[in-house]
Amino acid sequence: MNATDAFIVVARTLHFAACVSLTGVFAFECLVAGRTLRANDAELNDAFAPRRRLSVVAWASLALALVSGAAWLAAVAANMSGEPLGALKSSTIAIVLTETRVGKDWLLRLALVVLLGACLIAWKRRARWSAAVGWVAFGLSALLLVTLAWAGHGAADEGINGNIHLAADLLHLLAAGIWLGALVPFALMMTAVQYVGDQGAVGIARAATRRFSAIAVTSVGVLLASGIVNTLYLTGNVPALLGTPYGQLLLLKIALFVAMLSVAAINRVKLTAQLDAGARAWQAIPRLRRNALIESAIGLGVLAIVGQLGILPPGLHTEPVWPLPFRIDPNALPTGDKILSAVLVVGVCACATLVIVAIAGRRKWLLGASVVGLIPCVAFAAPPLRRAIEPAFPTTFFASPVSYGAPAVARGAAIYAQNCAVCHGADGRGDGPAAAGLPIKPADLTEPHLFAHNVGDLYWWIGHGIGGVMPGFEGKLTPRDRWNVIQFIRAHAAGVLAKSVGPKVTSAAAPQVLDFAFEIHGAQDTLSQTLQNGPVLLILYVRPVPDARLRQLAAEQRRLAAGGLTVIAVGPTKIRNSPSGGAKLPYVVGVSVDVAEALALFRSAGDGGETELMLDRNGDIRARWTASGPRSLAPPNVLVADAQRAARFAVAAPNHAGHGG
Amino acid sequence: MKKIFAALAVGASLALVSPAAWAHAFLDHASPAVGSSVPAAPTAVTLWFTQDLEPAFSTVTVTDKAGQRVDLDNAQVPPGQPAELQIGLKKLPRGTYTVRWRVVSVDTHNTEGHFTFDVRGG
Repeated sequence: MNATDAFIVVARTLHFAACVSLTGVFAFECLVAGRTLRANDAELNDAFAPRRRLSVVAWASLALALVSGAAWLAAVAANMSGEPLGALKSSTIAIVLTETRVGKDWLLRLALVVLLGACLIAWKRRARWSAAVGWVAFGLSALLLVTLAWAGHGAADEGINGNIHLAADLLHLLAAGIWLGALVPFALMMTAVQYVGDQGAVGIARAATRRFSAIAVTSVGVLLASGIVNTLYLTGNVPALLGTPYGQLLLLKIALFVAMLSVAAINRVKLTAQLDAGARAWQAIPRLRRNALIESAIGLGVLAIVGQLGILPPGLHTEPVWPLPFRIDPNALPTGDKILSAVLVVGVCACATLVIVAIAGRRKWLLGASVVGLIPCVAFAAPPLRRAIEPAFPTTFFASPVSYGAPAVARGAAIYAQNCAVCHGADGRGDGPAAAGLPIKPADLTEPHLFAHNVGDLYWWIGHGIGGVMPGFEGKLTPRDRWNVIQFIRAHAAGVLAKSVGPKVTSAAAPQVLDFAFEIHGAQDTLSQTLQNGPVLLILYVRPVPDARLRQLAAEQRRLAAGGLTVIAVGPTKIRNSPSGGAKLPYVVGVSVDVAEALALFRSAGDGGETELMLDRNGDIRARWTASGPRSLAPPNVLVADAQRAARFAVAAPNHAGHGG
Repeated sequence: MKKIFAALAVGASLALVSPAAWAHAFLDHASPAVGSSVPAAPTAVTLWFTQDLEPAFSTVTVTDKAGQRVDLDNAQVPPGQPAELQIGLKKLPRGTYTVRWRVVSVDTHNTEGHFTFDVRGG
């Protein structure tokens, strides 16, 4: 972390704390103090003046919000412009404020701070505290807090997801302000009650505690629900939660939150009841106050983590380093076992929760019942779950930074030939020249089982070897080359698998064609771009050029286009594919040597010179025809029907972690 | 009371998260494409990013092998295309050109990167 980042973390933490505190003060005033004090003796209000204390906290928070906000903005401006924080020009800040989205947000926030200042001045007029001004200030402070969602930018996502994420952010901030921010005001009120020390004061303490308790429970519920939504959007999966700094900090935050809840539960369950118990009320009040302050302190820790999280990339956008030597892969289980173990895991969680509830509530029968429930759940869940346990490595959940495309496959092919073929064989079947002398046969890299492994597992094995069986290539191959060779192995295995794909479109697992760039009518395009328009019929041919077939398809081009099918024909590079070279052939695109060689993995000598692949929108091969043998080429009307079937396969979600700068 | 505590305990076993999110403007694709070889000299370079950009702090330059600027120094985020960055080019002879970009996304994070493309024809 550089100095500017550290500065931002501190400024963010203080700014969040200030805004949370402001919202909390006015939430407490409007929802707890105002009502309690009106409902009780007004003289008491003047006697211990909890509102005067509230107004001191409000002024302090407002000042802190202003200073920390200015510091944060300066650091953001330094980051945006690339200037060091110490040498930040005022003109840069002016540009940020007037020309950028974040600047406009901050101007709005500054206006809110000024209005809040005016409210604070107007709050007390002629010894009376205005309820109306309190509500206005509550609204303004809530706005000041929730607009932080834009500063952190839950709005980074677009569309409906962006809106859900943003709504969750807003609610999360608001609930945090109302609950966490009101803890200090609550403690101040308990101090005031203790200071006055008569029965009327106990009545106020009781009423205030009840009201506060109700809004706290509501806020905690909102915090949980919105927190879960945000976790899904920002980490989304277990590897991101366990294996990234963001996820780990998030877990720490959740642990602190649980600690706060435990303290809150003591207040709620034990101490609130004591307020009704006559003389014991006087013991409960200082404890309630102490606990509220402990919760506030832990809450400040939570905000410090929030300050830190804001400058870390969320788990979904970084490579998770898996911390455990194993993982649980539900896909390794048959469907029945999958459902059974899911039900049982839910059962285990439910029983475990009941155990905690039983212990806390000292309900022996419930404890007994939940332990009895726990045992069979664990006993039945364990065997299928043990079968789902797969060995895992730190890189298991890495996504490849090089995409599954012709450049990587071509480079990977050369690396494979130099380093891997000696054992795994030139055709990948584990039968290289050195294989015969090995006690354990090298893996057959053409088996469909290859695709059951995460690419991150392959990456680990290539780098570190497999204990005593395969050497590691970490010192010999750069990380990028290791990924290149993985993309080649995948393409090679997909090519082998493709040969068993029949001429009927099915939902069977389909091998994927690699992405490649081509030139048509002088313009560049890629397969992945073309697939966005719908399925593609990829024609791979060798000499002689199948011009009769191409012309047959071209004659029906209007029907093919209406059916959403794009045809791309790729030949060996020896044939000039350039449209300027000789007779113009329909559908033939120009490709580089790399592309032609990589695509050759998807045809074989026995295809009769022409192979046609029906690709769904993922580039998965859904059907395959060859010019030779029984699988003769399909007439155009069949192709149109097949294209419509292929179009129904859902497009796989893009992999977040893969994007490179 | 018990119900509420049970709710808290269930909640405790679930999750909570920061409101602060994050996003970077990564290069999504470019024209001419990253690492591509184009037959005719392009008149402009266009970059498409994964997030909307802050025009005031987003720049791109194009240089030739010798490190000389060959762009028209008119980088702009076109109106209505907030995630795009465009710059005009001088007449490019055959050769390899380097595109360097440094952009700031609307959520204030900056990213930078570079790539090359080849011009095959004059």
